[in-house]
This record gives sequence, C-alpha cells and structure tokens, in this order.
Amino acid sequence: MPPKLPPPSLLSPLPSLPLPRQCICQTRSFSHTRRQETQAREQLFSWLHGPGKVFEKPLPNSTNYLSAYSKTGQLLRATQARAKQADAEPEKPESDDLTPEEAEIKKRDAWLKKAAEDVDAEMGKGRVPKESMEDLRPFPLNWEFVSQPVLSEELRDAIYRRVAEEGGSVRAASVEFGVSMERVGAVVRLKAMERQWVQQHKPLAAPYSRAVLSMLPTTPYDPGHPVHHESINDLPVHPATTQQIFHPTAESRPFTRRDAARVFRQGLRPADQRIPHPELVEIEKAAQSGRLNRPQRDDLMRTVMERESLVQKLKEADEAAREQRRVKVISRPRHDFKVENVSVEAVGKTGRKRAGVGWRYGMPLEDRKRGQVRIPTRVD
Amino acid sequence: MVRKRFHGLKKPKVRQSWNKFNLYNLARQENLKTHALTFFQQKWAAKSMTRAYHGEQIRERQWTRMFKRYIPAVVEMDAAELAKNDGTEQAAGRGTGKVERPDGRRRFKPKPTPYMNMTYYPTERRLDTAIFRALFASSTRQARQFVVHGYVKVNGKKMPYPGYLLNPGDMFSVDPERVMFATGAPKGQAVADRDDLEDVEETENGAEEPVEEEEVGEAEETDASSEVKARKDKLKALIGAIDESLLDKKDLSGRRLQELRTLRKEAKKAMSRSKHLTDESLSELESQHAAIVEKISQSEGSAEVPEAEDAKPSIDTSVVAPRYKSAAPPTHLDLLNRLPNPRDPTKPYATPWRPRPYMSAFAFIPRYLEVNQNVCSAVYLRHPVARPGLAEVPTPFASEVNTLAFQWYLRRR
Repeated sequence: MPPKLPPPSLLSPLPSLPLPRQCICQTRSFSHTRRQETQAREQLFSWLHGPGKVFEKPLPNSTNYLSAYSKTGQLLRATQARAKQADAEPEKPESDDLTPEEAEIKKRDAWLKKAAEDVDAEMGKGRVPKESMEDLRPFPLNWEFVSQPVLSEELRDAIYRRVAEEGGSVRAASVEFGVSMERVGAVVRLKAMERQWVQQHKPLAAPYSRAVLSMLPTTPYDPGHPVHHESINDLPVHPATTQQIFHPTAESRPFTRRDAARVFRQGLRPADQRIPHPELVEIEKAAQSGRLNRPQRDDLMRTVMERESLVQKLKEADEAAREQRRVKVISRPRHDFKVENVSVEAVGKTGRKRAGVGWRYGMPLEDRKRGQVRIPTRVD
Repeated sequence: MVRKRFHGLKKPKVRQSWNKFNLYNLARQENLKTHALTFFQQKWAAKSMTRAYHGEQIRERQWTRMFKRYIPAVVEMDAAELAKNDGTEQAAGRGTGKVERPDGRRRFKPKPTPYMNMTYYPTERRLDTAIFRALFASSTRQARQFVVHGYVKVNGKKMPYPGYLLNPGDMFSVDPERVMFATGAPKGQAVADRDDLEDVEETENGAEEPVEEEEVGEAEETDASSEVKARKDKLKALIGAIDESLLDKKDLSGRRLQELRTLRKEAKKAMSRSKHLTDESLSELESQHAAIVEKISQSEGSAEVPEAEDAKPSIDTSVVAPRYKSAAPPTHLDLLNRLPNPRDPTKPYATPWRPRPYMSAFAFIPRYLEVNQNVCSAVYLRHPVARPGLAEVPTPFASEVNTLAFQWYLRRR
C-alpha cells in the first residue's frame, strides 16, 4: 500500500501554519524529549542500580563474583557471618511490659542489627570474611569451574630468587613451592623480563597489577609454612587407558600398575614413571622403608634432586653434542655456513611434507594461493 | 563487524565481555529447558547458546574443523600413595579393589571428571581468547583488535593474526598502555566514590568546557576580555603548579596535602567564574600557594630528610640505593609497590588509573596461563585439561548444555 498523502493543508507552502508538536518529536532525532524506554531496559537499569550495584566496584582484597551474592545483592558469606554472630550473643533478660513473643522478636532484631553493624564495620575496614568454594564460581550455573588462586607477587619473587639468583633447579623449586615445573619456568621468564624493564626504565603497569591481584584469589608466600599452590604430580590420561578391558589373569599372581599399563598398550609406561616427579615416589619409598627422620629425609631429597639435575644437564650436553655432529659449521667473517645432511625421502609421497628441503622441480608452491592458511603454526 | 544486538536483552546471549549488559544477562541466565524440545532441538539450542560465548568471532566452518572429540584430562597422583602400593590393591576383590580398606574406612571415590565442559577447549588456544583470559582486554573482540592493530607480540615477535594457535610455552605480550586503556575506567566520567582515591579528580571536561564555549561566543576582542584571558592563563598556571607540588612531593604531611587540595579546589572554582575574577583574588590565591610551598620547604629543611623522589620514579637500584642511608637498599618488591599511579590528563583513560566498572565480576585467570601483570605478558603453559570435579575451560554453561553442544558437533544428528 502506498503511503498516505498528507492533507493538502500541509502540502501548501504556508509558513505561518505550525506543524503539530507530536510530529516534530517523531522526525527530529535531536529532540530533547526523553526516549521511551522498553521494559527490558528498565529492568536492566533497575538491576544495575539495585542488586547489581555491588559489582560496579571491586570488594577490597576479595573476589567479587556473581555466586557470592544472593538474588537481592546481599553478600552471602557476610549474611552467614552476621547470623553466626547473632547466635553467639548471650541471652538477655526480658522486660516486663512486652509479651514473650514480642520480646523475643525485639531481642532477635536488636542482635541481628548489632551483628550486621559489626560485620559492616569490618567490611568498611576492608576485611571481608574469607571466600568459600561456592563464592569462587564466576559462573552461577557452572559448578565445575572455579576461579583458582594465582601466585602472589611475593611468591613469584621468591621463586625467581630461588631459581635465577640462587641457582636452584626448576625441579627442586617446583617441589619446594608446590608449583608445577612449567609454571616455575614461566615465572622466572616473566620476572626476568620485568627486571629488565625496570633497568631500562620502561613504564610498568603497576597500578593495573595491584588492582588485578587484589581482585583475584592468590596463594600467599610464607617462608616458614609453604602453601601448596597446585598439584605437581598430574598424570595425563592416556587415550589408551580410557577403554575398559576384560583381561583374565591368575588370582595367585599380583597384578600391578606395570601389568595394567602393558595390558592397555604395549610399551606404555606405568603411572609411577609417567608423572612429572617420579623422584618423589623414590624418596617416599625410602622414607617409608627406612623410617627416616626429617633431616635425613631432607638430605635424601637434596641428593635425589642434585642427581636429577645432573642427569638433566648430561642429557642436554648429549643433545648439544649430537647437534654439533649433525650440523657442520663453517665460520666466515660475515656468515656462518651450516651444512647438514638431508634426505630426499623427507618430502614424502606427495612431495609437500614440511620436513622436505628446497624447491621441488615441477611442484608449484601454493603458499600465495587464495584460501591457503598463512598463519604461522609456531614462533621461535 | 559486531552484530547490532551483541548484548541483546530480548534474546540474551552470554558473551566473552565485561560489559554491564553482559553481566546482567549472566545474572539472569537460566538453564536450558528441555522438557518440550526434541533431541535435535535441544542440541540446536545448546549449540546456539554455547557458540555465542565460545569463539563467536570464529566462523562455524572454521570451528567445526577445530573441534576435537578427544578431550585432555589429568589425574592428580599422590607420591606417598604410589610408594606405599604397587597397584595390587586396586586389582583385589573382584578386580576393582575391595570396597572396604584394611583400616575399615570405605574406598575413596573420586569425583567424576567433567569432560563435557571441555567441549570448546580448542578455542582457548587462540591468541585473542588467551589475551582476554589473561585479563589484558575487556572482551575477545577487543583482544582481537589489539592483535590486528599490532599491539601484541608472541615470543617477542609481532603477531598480527588473532587466530594464531598458541603452543605450550609461548609467551604473549600486549602493550601495557593498551591494557591500561582496556581495563581502566573510561575518561570523562565522574568518580563514583571519591574517598578511595588519593587525589580528588575533577571530571575531565566539566570545569573547563563551559568557559571555552563562552570564549567562542565572544565576537569582538575587547580590552576587558583580553584581561580576563590573561588572568585565566595565570590561574591555569597556578593550578598546574599546585598539581605539580601535589605530584612531586610524595611524603607531604596530611595537613599540607589538605591545604593544597583546598587551594586547588578554590582555584578551580575561580576558573569556572573567570569573568568575575579580579587581580586581588588571583594574587591572594598565588600568595597562599607560595605560603604553602614555603612551609613545605621549611619542614623539609628542619627534618633533614633526603630530598623526596622526583615525579619520574628513578627505579634503578644503583641510583636509588645511596639515598637510603641507614636502611637496607629497597628490594625489587619495594620498588614495585612504590611505583606511582599519577594523574596524567594525556592518557586515554581516567587517571589515577582504577579498574573499569564491573571488572571484578569477570576477573579470574585460568590455570593454563601464567600471567605477569606488571609487564602485561603471559605464558601459555599447556592446553586446558579436565580433572576430577573441575574443568579448566571457563564456560558459563552447565554440564548438560555443554554435553548437548558436544553431541551436536559429533555430526551424528
């Protein structure tokens, strides 16, 4: 249907005739009239100014996730603390002019109020009750995800000093601080970068760092009582072990982890050897059989750790030597020429394998063709 | 391009973003109601919900190629337990271990591993997602923009591809200025609660703008207006001087700070009424400032403390060390704690820096990343894994929804 023609009075060029006010509002986008809000937006803003207000700013020195609050925006652990405090208050004698029920209600209210004030005062000073596991879930519907603690600045510094300044091995530091070996390496790498920036007078994001670390759960550093940050002996679930196998075996014969590994797949090593810290099992075995006391056990730990680091060094040296044998380096003033043997077969059946060397005659390069993925797969 | 209703309220989708709309949608999120749906519809709905969060910037074809049905998992092993037993106790009884242990306690039953919550673990390997997870950007879209605009390095080399799949051990760094911008409160908004800030910050535009508008309005340059302008310039210089003395002297006494702040407030007030500003009031303000500066210098001389640090922090230990005569040289941590959070109007974010609103509800760092916030760099340690009772992929959806989505991508529908 074509649009309705306006009445002739509007079409006529009469400047004195004012347009109806409503019409102006609809057509002029720069009108000062308040826009009609939808119900959904109204609800959003009432939530943001009501229960959602608590998320606008971080709780001092605490996490501030959705699951820590009730639907009405009450901090659940603070409410629980209040209730506990109210229960702990001693009974007071009732006054005469009230019925027992009224007195009970009044008393209860007074206690609750006082307890609430106490908790609020504590929170005002930046002391919030410690989070439980439920408070650490950022996603209310997902029970299987929690915000796990990160390393505190002090702990990171301690790890860096132990490894980079005192020359401790990554393996020993991992056991000492209860931090996985990959993480120890990463911490040292990042801390070294940080110190380099400080020396070069590069601006650090210190205010950001302080704010973020106060928003997250952190593992503190206490030299006397080391806190376990994460599990350091994680066994990766091997795909071969995810199946159920019916394996008849003699009852008279012990069936150990070694046997189980062999049944799952030929050549699969038992769990004792596939964990990142097999030396800990060895130490524990010695400790359990020999009934070692604390210093003896520490000595044993030190010996085993030294042996492990020596083995690691030998392995690295061996690898370097093998590399040296493989690649012949001819030094010239401007360039080093590296000569190594290559196999023609390395290009594979299609002639396109990555390991293949050089341009193959009759095999056009496709790297600039449309649709080819040019994103690198690794950066060294 | 981001679609028009990215944070819609009618058909809410939870997104990888710190937006307040998104927080609201997350707060009222409900589980999938499956009672009236066919199995196909359930899977479709679950896929639609989850894909809006996990890698919505990735095209569907691309994601289906990334999807893996193999999901990595780990089990924590106790060295003491491994040393005590060789595994025979687990093969005892009818082949699965005895129900009651020798000490009378029942067998420890581990929590089930939530494998299905790991459906989208391949997307966590992407560079843009990892930047968002490390809290360097306020959304994955923003992280993607940082990568494309060249603010991100992987292992020290510029990486312009947001789809780069990180390998275990890769270090990625984002320009700290970009991170401060992305995670800081926006400029030009009034501070909600002024008590917690060190120096009271005026709204960025509020004080000066009306004056400038008046200036534009004046057509002819009269003597009076030029005089006003000269006075205003003087006043501006005075405010600058007060700011500098507030910034420079870190160890001012509370009273001096208070005096300086009051004076600054007065000067600002005078600025907003600069037409009625007289020479007398200006000179009085200046003399007040001079008096405060005098008092500060006197107190410094009497106490004989070493001169306070400059506005630019000299962080090099070799430079700082001699200044502390009696105490031990400051450690690296002391230096970090002492780094200032100055007011700097040239920055694109509100200064002194403070986190943006609603950031804390989204702030978590998963375990597969190790982040150093000071240098805005992080290391991708390993791929995310599932372990008994815990899945490392941050997903806002329940296990059932993730299971349905996983089944959708198995391509047997």
